[in-house]
Amino acid sequence: MIDERKELEKIILTRLVRLNAKIHGLVTGIVLGLGLFIATNWLVLKGGKSVGRHLSLLGQFFIGYRVSFLGSFIGFFYGFICGFTVGYSIAWMYNWIADLRNRKAQ
Amino acid sequence: MDPQVTVIIGAGPAGLTAAYELSKLKRPTLVLEEQNMVGGLARTESYKGFYFDLGGHRFFTKAPAVESMWREVLGADFLRRPRLSRIYYNRRFFYYPLKPLNALIGLGLGRSLLIGLSYLRWQLFPHRREETFEQWVTNRFGKRLFETFFKAYTEKVWGLSCAELRAEWAAQRIRGLSLKTALISMFAKPKQTIKTLIEEFHYPRLGPGMMWQAVKNHIERDGSGVRLNCQVIAIRRNDNHIESVVISHDGRLEVIPGSAFVSSIPVNEFILKLDPPPPADVIQAAKSLRYRGLLVVCLIINDAHLFPDNWIYIHDPEVRVGRIQNYKNWSPDMVPDSSKTSLGMEYFCTPGDGLWNLSDADLIGLGKSELERIGLALAVKVEDAQVIRVPHAYPIYDAGYSDHVALIRRFLDGLENFQTIGRNGLHRYNNQDHAMMTGLLAARNLALGERNDLWSVNTESEYHEEALLEDTAVEEALARVFTKLDRIAFALALGTVAGATLFLATLFLVIRGGDGVVRILQLLRQYFPGYRVTPVGSVIGFVYAFASAFIGGWLFAFLRNAAMFFYMAWLERKAQRGLMRRIFDFL
Repeated sequence: MIDERKELEKIILTRLVRLNAKIHGLVTGIVLGLGLFIATNWLVLKGGKSVGRHLSLLGQFFIGYRVSFLGSFIGFFYGFICGFTVGYSIAWMYNWIADLRNRKAQ
Repeated sequence: MDPQVTVIIGAGPAGLTAAYELSKLKRPTLVLEEQNMVGGLARTESYKGFYFDLGGHRFFTKAPAVESMWREVLGADFLRRPRLSRIYYNRRFFYYPLKPLNALIGLGLGRSLLIGLSYLRWQLFPHRREETFEQWVTNRFGKRLFETFFKAYTEKVWGLSCAELRAEWAAQRIRGLSLKTALISMFAKPKQTIKTLIEEFHYPRLGPGMMWQAVKNHIERDGSGVRLNCQVIAIRRNDNHIESVVISHDGRLEVIPGSAFVSSIPVNEFILKLDPPPPADVIQAAKSLRYRGLLVVCLIINDAHLFPDNWIYIHDPEVRVGRIQNYKNWSPDMVPDSSKTSLGMEYFCTPGDGLWNLSDADLIGLGKSELERIGLALAVKVEDAQVIRVPHAYPIYDAGYSDHVALIRRFLDGLENFQTIGRNGLHRYNNQDHAMMTGLLAARNLALGERNDLWSVNTESEYHEEALLEDTAVEEALARVFTKLDRIAFALALGTVAGATLFLATLFLVIRGGDGVVRILQLLRQYFPGYRVTPVGSVIGFVYAFASAFIGGWLFAFLRNAAMFFYMAWLERKAQRGLMRRIFDFL
């Protein structure tokens, strides 16, 4: 048991964590997509003279996006794609650099 | 005598399981037993209709093959029993595992306060090195609690001062006291499993001997033999081939030939009975192995109800008894008359020491007086008694044992038709189920040509009930979650993605135009001096975003690793304390 414990400690203390790029991308995508979806609908429900003046500027990047109920779905889609790309890229790049550094260290 | 028979020396759980498995595989066996009954260390002695289990054998296992054999053999006689075992100290009962409130009330406010202060003192200024059992426990519970609940019982069991017992031994015995256990506890709290082991257990209606008698009957029905009262005198070998066993039965010597031999007798005895003898260093190693003995003073008391526990740990240093079994609470059928109670007063000793050498009458006198002294029953109520002596109850893990066992193992591995099994055969502190596993695997090695390593049984498998997942899966999962995040790699990745995002967003606006968002994005100048929504600005933006995200990412990874480290340390400590509360199950 002591050996097993030392082995596990060794793994935990010396090995580097590897990120799952797909899961990272998926989670970031969902968070960003949902964030934009909720933010859009919040402004729609809140109403007022000029609905979502600042948020609608995202339309510059996300073609077709507006601060409306339909726009919240389009926003979710764009948010998800962007989030997925960012999350995936960070994880992929992290793994690549970590591997590189690890190989160098060995 | 069939020379193709497999001769099994010892009719304990390991030997009988091997014979049972071989009989199922249609291989003839002959089991030789020195005692007049089967069961070995798990035998059940009977006296005037009362049954006495030596040491108390709870039936629980994590090995499905063992579990199914118990159920197959015992059927409806395999009972599920509630468990209650408390600590008796200073004329008070304490719940076991220890419960803080119960301990507080039992010990009194003043003493509890001192224990609390002692705990704090040892948390703040622990022993720097944990070399002994005493230091190990003190660092986790404080000196006063150690002296109250751990010291006396541990010293009674092993006959050694806690300052002499190595800390590694404690860590070895407390299976599950591992980083893995601590970490798994983060994901799952298997309360149901814990409840099963702590509050209930399985038990044969008439004690473990019932199981082994049934196995004997089964083996004999299948045409194999079990011979009792056969003392092994010598084991004859021709170089590395065992040829026969010389036994003494009813005063006559007999030679038993066989094609294969399996032994569960203490491995030192086996070595010393070999003819011709093995090399001198192997003999010396065998002579160096030591065992702890057990004396059970069985008392029949004219009282229907004494206490509800299955057994009680006696921590009081004023008496020598270590544990008291109350057999009718294990199974009501262990007593023939429900108006009486049968107790087993267990004394841990070393064969040949003062306690061991006492006569039966003196031991019964001691048992009766100590029973009265600790206030569980009046001596005059004891109406009958007998003494059972178990010389090789526990193999001792002293400083040199592992080297001695390694040397013996190297020699035994060279014997081509021999396997050693069981607690004493392997000099390993196996419980009944592990002993059975060694017998089962030995039988498969013989009959099916498998190559199971019997010495590794109980080195890998866990008793800690938290282990719910496959080992490899657990390690894989833990490695994924708890391993360190590479700070530089994470910072670089985050920096690059953030820089590229701002770079692309800026360029996109430069190409596409659009006043509103340009104004908003240019607000970043508040933080990034020199940044603008221009082609040059996109490069400046990349540098700024990269630098900020790099710092943020590095800091995040650093803090995450540090937090994970402290969390792991805390979890491990918590798991250790939790298991230490149940330490007496493992001694």
